[in-house]
Amino acid sequence: MELALEYIARGVLEVFFTADGQFDWLPIAMVFGGLLLGIAIGATPGLNGPFAMALSLPVLISVFGHSDEALLPILGFLIGIMKGATIGGAVPAILFNTPGTPDAFLTTLDGYPMAKKGLGIKALKVAHFSSASGDTFSDMVLFISAPVLAVMIERVLDLPEKSALIILSLSFMAAVAGKSPTKGMIVGLLGMLLALIGSTLSGNGPRMTFGIAALGNGLPLTSAILGVLVLSEVLVGLEEMTRARRKKIATLVRLPRGDTHFGLRDIRQLLPTIFRSAAIGTAVGALPGIGTTLAATLGYDAARRVSKHPEKFGTGIPEGVAATEAANSSVSGANLIPVMSLGIPGNFAAVFLILAVESVGDFTLGPSVFRFDEIKEIEGFGTIINKDLVVAFSIFTLMVLANLFNWTAGGWFMRTLGVLSRVPKSIMLPSVLLITLTAVYAQDGGFIAIWVVIIFGAIGFVLRKLEVSILPFVIGFLLAPRLEELIRGGYSASGGDPFFLLKSPIALLFLGLSIFILVFAGRRAAAIRA
Amino acid sequence: MGGKAQKTEAAPDPWDIGFGAVLFVFALLALFVWFPNDIRGGFVEVDHAGKPEPGDAFFPVLLTSAILVLSASHVLKSLLLRRHSDEARTTARLTRDDLIFLVLFNLLVCAGLAAMYWLGPLVTAVAGFVSASDLTYRQLVDTVPYKYVGYGIGGFLMTATLIAWAEAGLRWQAILAVMGVIAASIIVFDVLLINVQLPPNADY
Repeated sequence: MELALEYIARGVLEVFFTADGQFDWLPIAMVFGGLLLGIAIGATPGLNGPFAMALSLPVLISVFGHSDEALLPILGFLIGIMKGATIGGAVPAILFNTPGTPDAFLTTLDGYPMAKKGLGIKALKVAHFSSASGDTFSDMVLFISAPVLAVMIERVLDLPEKSALIILSLSFMAAVAGKSPTKGMIVGLLGMLLALIGSTLSGNGPRMTFGIAALGNGLPLTSAILGVLVLSEVLVGLEEMTRARRKKIATLVRLPRGDTHFGLRDIRQLLPTIFRSAAIGTAVGALPGIGTTLAATLGYDAARRVSKHPEKFGTGIPEGVAATEAANSSVSGANLIPVMSLGIPGNFAAVFLILAVESVGDFTLGPSVFRFDEIKEIEGFGTIINKDLVVAFSIFTLMVLANLFNWTAGGWFMRTLGVLSRVPKSIMLPSVLLITLTAVYAQDGGFIAIWVVIIFGAIGFVLRKLEVSILPFVIGFLLAPRLEELIRGGYSASGGDPFFLLKSPIALLFLGLSIFILVFAGRRAAAIRA
Repeated sequence: MGGKAQKTEAAPDPWDIGFGAVLFVFALLALFVWFPNDIRGGFVEVDHAGKPEPGDAFFPVLLTSAILVLSASHVLKSLLLRRHSDEARTTARLTRDDLIFLVLFNLLVCAGLAAMYWLGPLVTAVAGFVSASDLTYRQLVDTVPYKYVGYGIGGFLMTATLIAWAEAGLRWQAILAVMGVIAASIIVFDVLLINVQLPPNADY
């Protein structure tokens, strides 16, 4: 216990002080800046948290570089964006009936009717309080469960089991994230295959490059992921607009202004709804691949079911806003449970945290992080310590800081952002395209990054049109090097046994579960279609 | 009867079959054409101690074999699973309009990038011709205003054209917004950040 407290203290101190003991304001300022940007991005229809994280990452790496010292300011900013965007999304939903994201649609059901009754500001306060509560709740679950889970995994799982666990996670994401699990799994494997371009582990020179020398160092990771995520979204949005030719995205309606008070009595009334939704959102968020929309839907539905006046839902009541906002915000913290304990990203925001960690410093995420090695001071050598564990607790500290800023300044800031909700998507999307191309060019220093964005953008566009989820593709792309390392290691360690994955009961169980999930989800999807 | 439309069985969904078939063919080509010509290491190699070690082709072949099996099973499943006729309209697909949009979009972006790439050298050549100087763009790539010419004009053309396409016209607000975005990008990526360059300057 003492050792754990020592690691926690070092992690906290690392955020606030430099190595030579000076107070370090930078990580704190970065969390605050990221939170404000995240709220602004969330309040702008057509933009979302992962979008802003994607664009910020190359800029942050250009500013801070790749050293160990750069990690906390960069992660602080990204965590700030992630948390800010979850509360900012309520602004256009409540004030303009414009859901920027699918889960925000549920906030419009009661949020906009409240605004029409003159309770817009009160609805924003309810949304902020519920969102910040849900987020804090799920962070607490993360802080407790991730280390426990990681320690258990590290004790029980070896190379074959870890390989099988990655396959199981990919199958699960393929099953829940799209309409066809088989298609999802195929594109997940395709993403893995493309990630191998230009790499080598045997020292025989780069592989699968089609003879293109520029691919010798592999595909630029950030450019490829920005292409699939950001450019494909720009493409789909622009195509919709070129067809609809709508000049005005949001219409300005003058709303009345009534009661804005949100006090202890309101809080007491809403607390049961908030905690129920936060628990639902946290449970949903802990499973990789399931998004905020399902959490918001389940949270709203549960609140309506237990309500004494279910008929009032949808007419503009605070419980409706609280149920959806607490549920969708509590997904973000819980989504980091698989990231911190397994090193497997469960959603797009987690993808960018992993990308940052892989690009900056020598910290790695995963079960091996939570090794509570004894701390030893050796004279003339330094301190022997598990530095990864210290960084993990620093990341938790950054999340707590983001929550504190969210509770204090977040609500006020989100209520000033109504104007952003009227920025037309037709201007926003081409501007995002230009910034994306500029950012990847600046980071990778050449047109190869731009071509990769364009090619992967086209892949993402085609997948979206075919209604195949791009999440397994992105996760597969990101996890390929790790899975290859594990599979090769497992094969070598078994002395070249081709059935090494099937010899371990746990690995066999994971593989069996993968097949079961794909078959079960496939049958369910077929039944729904029929 | 009961007022509900009778569902009739129709042919299997060609898009589902096509998706699987394309990936099946891709996997076959990868296994028998791409990898043998583009991966120098083998599937399994023997190290100096005589132990079998996975080669560079090991993991790609495993992945591609999995794609092959899954895509074949997807095609078979799609052939066996018959749709109902009223589903035909709702099936996800890539239409001719989607492809036309994708081609036009990429043409516009490439035109913008071409302008970005060539305008700097072009302006330098014209300026050199007028002032009888023989400086090249490579020599002026860090000199204002030359270093901003390609990015500024090419970026403006690309962004403004896409906005005009989306809105069926170009408003003053949009022009000002694009100019603002370009100015902000120059400030962030060229003025505030060191060691990075705006497109296309790193390529000269």
